[in-house]
Amino acid sequence: MARIAGVNIPTNKRVTISLRYIYGIGPKKAQDICTQLGIPDDRRVNQLSDDEVLRIRELIDREFRVEGDLRREVAMNIKRLMDLGCYRGLRHRRGLPVRGQRTHTNARTRKGKAVAIAGKKKVTK
Amino acid sequence: MARSVWKGPFVDGYLLNKAEASRASSRNEIIKIWSRRSTILPQFVGLTFGVYNGHKFLPVQVTENMVGHKFGEFSPTRTFTGHSADKKAKRG
Repeated sequence: MARIAGVNIPTNKRVTISLRYIYGIGPKKAQDICTQLGIPDDRRVNQLSDDEVLRIRELIDREFRVEGDLRREVAMNIKRLMDLGCYRGLRHRRGLPVRGQRTHTNARTRKGKAVAIAGKKKVTK
Repeated sequence: MARSVWKGPFVDGYLLNKAEASRASSRNEIIKIWSRRSTILPQFVGLTFGVYNGHKFLPVQVTENMVGHKFGEFSPTRTFTGHSADKKAKRG
């Protein structure tokens, strides 16, 4: 078990894969970390030496904003828009798509699961 | 796509004159503008603009956070009061 950046404990997967379990680290950054520290692609997390784990941890601490810090930053950015009273903020407040997508249909990710309209006649056949 | 940096922010030129005139007169009156497409510049901070939404001029007090946004973002053009779900429920 390896603890990197707080709570994350990636398993016996390859390092480039398991680093992505950290919020804020995707394919690109995971690959960057490995090349920068000279860790070969096929190395698994349980094969890492303590020193390598330490170096990964330090690199992430130094270079990237991950987990809680990143979540807080994103939440702050959204809060700023909402307090400002601009169009994007209003859309965030109402839980509707922010970037001009259609809402006549779809937009279910933002609006949540569809709610049946009471009293609407069903189309028969 | 974001606007090229070398062009600088887009502002309709007459806004600068209007803002300056209002600063000079030092009365806090609403500056009526139609230019919703203009970027809010640092020199507009503290002034109050009436941004036209196609119907009336909505007052927008410009704060420091608003710099970089467009005027139109603060003056919604559509009114949506929500669906009247209750009425339909009773009828059905």
